[in-house]
Amino acid sequence: MLSIRDLHAQIGVRKILKGVNLEVKPGEVHAIMGPNGSGKSTLASVLAGRAGYEVTKGTAHYLGDDLLALEPEERARRGVFLAFQYPVEIPGVNNAYLLKAALNAVRKQRGLPDLDAFEFLALIKDKMKLMQMDESFLSRGVNEGFSGGEKKRNEILQMSVLEPTLALLDETDSGLDIDALRVVATGVNSLRSPERAIVMVTHYQRLLDYIEPDFVHVLSDGRILRTGDKSLALELEKRGYDWVKQEASAA
Amino acid sequence: MGDKCGAHTFPYMEIRNPSAVVEHEATTSKIADDQLFYCRSRGVSEEDAVNMIVNGFCKVVFKELPMEFAVEAQNLLAVSLEGSVG
Ligand SMILES: Nc1ncnc2c1ncn2[C@@H]1O[C@H](COP(=O)(O)OP(=O)(O)OP(=O)(O)O)[C@@H](O)[C@H]1O
Ligand SMILES: [Mg+2]
Repeated sequence: MLSIRDLHAQIGVRKILKGVNLEVKPGEVHAIMGPNGSGKSTLASVLAGRAGYEVTKGTAHYLGDDLLALEPEERARRGVFLAFQYPVEIPGVNNAYLLKAALNAVRKQRGLPDLDAFEFLALIKDKMKLMQMDESFLSRGVNEGFSGGEKKRNEILQMSVLEPTLALLDETDSGLDIDALRVVATGVNSLRSPERAIVMVTHYQRLLDYIEPDFVHVLSDGRILRTGDKSLALELEKRGYDWVKQEASAA
Repeated sequence: MGDKCGAHTFPYMEIRNPSAVVEHEATTSKIADDQLFYCRSRGVSEEDAVNMIVNGFCKVVFKELPMEFAVEAQNLLAVSLEGSVG
């Protein structure tokens, strides 16, 4: 579904991704861990199409298409969803309004008719129950004045409404209280299916207790240095990242 | 931009893209880029995203205006946005 080969990307002259290889198949859940500043968010941003990154080498294909050639909105309509590490506030833009526009853009691509306001409200209220979010969030500005945890919940609400084929979750667990973590994990798990894949960036093993990954990767200094199963996350929690770097440079 | 504009010099009427909205504050044009990318990453076209963000921004600004200005400003916004799309 997602095939990344030798991906190099930089901002200005600063090289950040230095040859990332990653193969994600339908139904899989991948966790990406790694030290601060290693390029995890950069990888997610490049895949979602944020401007300002120059891809100098390598490729990324999604469902057989050259992902990097598509406009960000085109990627989204084809089922790529990025849950942001730092969701931006958009004052004055109604949260429900944006989500309805997003859903109808995605539905159009899927050959489905627009949902009208009533159908949309019924759907979103249902999803908000799942996310245990108060309906007052519908009428507020997008992320406007939301607490850190509320922003993350709102990202997963959007995800559960848009039902992406490939979900990229950038530290969705950071800043969540214990109950919210469980709620968010429920939201993510309810999306799991044989046709969908999830790539989640996290610093914490704890998330992986709730959302079990098939693979755990260590991204360090712009490269994936090690790939393992869930037990790798446990080992990282105990030992940190230095041994991974040392073993990689010795090899 | 329409004949109603002549008598007014409203600073937010010259907007063509959301970065211009907040030109006078260096850090906020980065915010506008982030807002634009956020909407696009949800499947909204660039044009629609610009309209949404500018509209939202103006809504917030207009809330601060006295009533009669707010109404006039809304009208101007509707006119100017028509012109900027397509
Ligand atoms: N606009 C920019 N200009 C210069 N350097 C940048 C820019 N954006 C990111 N970087 C640098 O790129 C590197 C990778 O950043 P990135 O956000 O991808 O890290 P990360 O792995 O997500 O870290 P964290 O775990 O802290 O979220 C960092 O050293 C960062 O300072
Ligand atoms: Mg990051």
